[in-house]
Amino acid sequence: MRTLLPLAIAFISGLIMVIAFFINPEQKTVGTISQDLLIWSSIIGGFTFLLGAISITRVNWKQVSMRKPGWGYNLLTVLAVFVMAVPALWPAAWLPSGWERLAGRNAGSIYDWLFLYTATPMSQTMFAILAFYIASAAYRAFRARSTEATLLLLTASMVMLWRVPMGEAFLLFISPDLPGVINTYIMGGISLSVQRGIIIGAALGAATMSLRILLGIERTYMGRS
Amino acid sequence: MNIWQRLAGLHRQWIFILVWIAVIFPLIVPATFEISTTPEVKALYDAVEALPDSSVVMLTFDLYPNALAETEPMTRAALHHLFRNNHKVVTVTTIPLGGPSVAERVTRELAAEYGKVYGTDFVNLGYKPNYVSVLKGMGSSIESIYPADNSGTPLGRLPLMTTVKNYADIAFIFVVTDNGIIDFWISIVNAQFGKPVGAGVTSVMAPKQYAYIGSGQLTGMLGGMKGAAEYEQLVGKPALAVTGMGIQSLVHFLLIGLIVVGNLGFFMNRRSQAKKGGGA
Amino acid sequence: MEIFQIWVMAFFTLAIFSFLYADNPVFKFAEHIFAGITAGYYVALYLDTVVKQQLWQPLTQDFNSNWLLIFPGILGLLMFARLYPRFSWLARIGLAFVMGTTAGVFLMSELHGNVLGQMAGTMQIQQTGGEPNYVLTILIIIGLISTLIYFYFSKEHVGALGATAKLGIWFIMISFGAHFGYTVMARISLLIGRVYFLWTDWIGSFIT
Repeated sequence: MRTLLPLAIAFISGLIMVIAFFINPEQKTVGTISQDLLIWSSIIGGFTFLLGAISITRVNWKQVSMRKPGWGYNLLTVLAVFVMAVPALWPAAWLPSGWERLAGRNAGSIYDWLFLYTATPMSQTMFAILAFYIASAAYRAFRARSTEATLLLLTASMVMLWRVPMGEAFLLFISPDLPGVINTYIMGGISLSVQRGIIIGAALGAATMSLRILLGIERTYMGRS
Repeated sequence: MNIWQRLAGLHRQWIFILVWIAVIFPLIVPATFEISTTPEVKALYDAVEALPDSSVVMLTFDLYPNALAETEPMTRAALHHLFRNNHKVVTVTTIPLGGPSVAERVTRELAAEYGKVYGTDFVNLGYKPNYVSVLKGMGSSIESIYPADNSGTPLGRLPLMTTVKNYADIAFIFVVTDNGIIDFWISIVNAQFGKPVGAGVTSVMAPKQYAYIGSGQLTGMLGGMKGAAEYEQLVGKPALAVTGMGIQSLVHFLLIGLIVVGNLGFFMNRRSQAKKGGGA
Repeated sequence: MEIFQIWVMAFFTLAIFSFLYADNPVFKFAEHIFAGITAGYYVALYLDTVVKQQLWQPLTQDFNSNWLLIFPGILGLLMFARLYPRFSWLARIGLAFVMGTTAGVFLMSELHGNVLGQMAGTMQIQQTGGEPNYVLTILIIIGLISTLIYFYFSKEHVGALGATAKLGIWFIMISFGAHFGYTVMARISLLIGRVYFLWTDWIGSFIT
């Protein structure tokens, strides 16, 4: 029952979506059922994310309550969750006149302000520091040790030149057709064909995995029994 | 330690300092460059230009805040283009973190510039979970997936949404994204509903999109900051992306220089060690 | 942008940049605040867009037309059973529903949109500037076949298969080289965005 029921639900819901693919969406019965399944899926998916967010809060609170090393930082995390979520969900009507804008998720609210002026710059900077590591990695690890590595290096260098105006000017100086050749034959030819092969391979893999889920062969999403 | 060993073994903090200098220098001594237009960007621009007046365009903010430096210039240039050409804009996002907030901020700012009215000229539908459900579900009924907009206003109260029921009422889909969701816009929306899709993607994702452009599944593409700069230039609103090209140029030359120096050090060091070994 | 907001953004930007030198308390402080704000963002977003807009409002405003929404509501609530090991199996039901629906859509969309779509694209004569380009077409066909053969590991790569796989490797290396070039550009662009903000907005605020 604990395994059979979920497998049956996965099979039936998936089968309906597969059948719906072949039937005109205007068709009442299948169209309505498949649309309802999609709405339900969206709703349940939302609860999954909610569970994740609550789990993070729970884990951090456990660190605080057990006074683990660095618990002060975990307390910060928990406080940040509440400072962010509570004003967003607070009914604006409960606030004094003139303060209504602070509630909710719209522009000017505490929620929006915190996201825009604290989380966004941090998120951008976390990825920006990768530029330094990629420069360091390129310097240290990119060695033309073999034919394949040399091909990779030469292509990378040509593309890096082609993608910036100064570099493109340099390539035009070598040959006026060079930027066009890079775009047409390297990006739109060799790279395109490889990416197409990867897309087809990945799509076949995804379709196989989907079929395995529908047929109940793939059960890892259910966790341990 | 000989000169070749030093060249091949610079401490990484020196690399970091060189990158900082390469990024800051063009800000102190700015230079403008002519930016050539690639066929992919031109194709996207032309596709939007060819849309009949007052067409409804779905502009997606499928982006996280971490790549805003590349994606926000694209969304701004797209909104300039769409509002200037008098198109109606419906924004959606399949990315929970940041997408709705960025969409709200950017669309309202640009709409104010063009005197566009919320609800009549543009609507921000916001976010709903499970992108597969959202993309497929909007093909039948947008309202069943989004009963209300990002602010909680029921769609029935928004004049624009009374005429936009599903993809059939949308002329073009302009996807701006920094993740693999573009694959599903193509495989679900373009393939099953026949909607033309154009994309603004980060540089990391751009090489893959050539396969979709080649097969005709993608109308055009803005690839990274360069693509955004080209589009800004075409639309006539040069901004961060165009400015960034000068900095990008210098850093790319630095990186190529570092790769050359590193390889030079590696090969010369290997040769001198081979000579020593041969002599012993 | 107001001065206070600029300084808040600059503080958090520099706090994260400080990691380039070494891990430090300021970075840890910023990092943990980020985790909390992100989690709080999700909590508010899902409670508002899903629980309120997709469940509560339809059920309370028009129960007769929307009573079926009780079922996804129950399945969604059962997801929280995962937090209690004794009842965690109940969460499988909702999860299976989502996985089944998604798998059903994926099965068809991947085959139809990606496999067939890309194969159809390969069978077309490529155009360059409106003119047919047969060299490009043959290049793409050779590249695609050799790439797919390289990734086929069910047979040993010897003989003709081996030679084609070797060709595939060269195509793949060129493609990965191009990908690396683009990736470098992506990372640098993100750094440009941050430094541009620090230079024009933050340092600019000292001057103005």
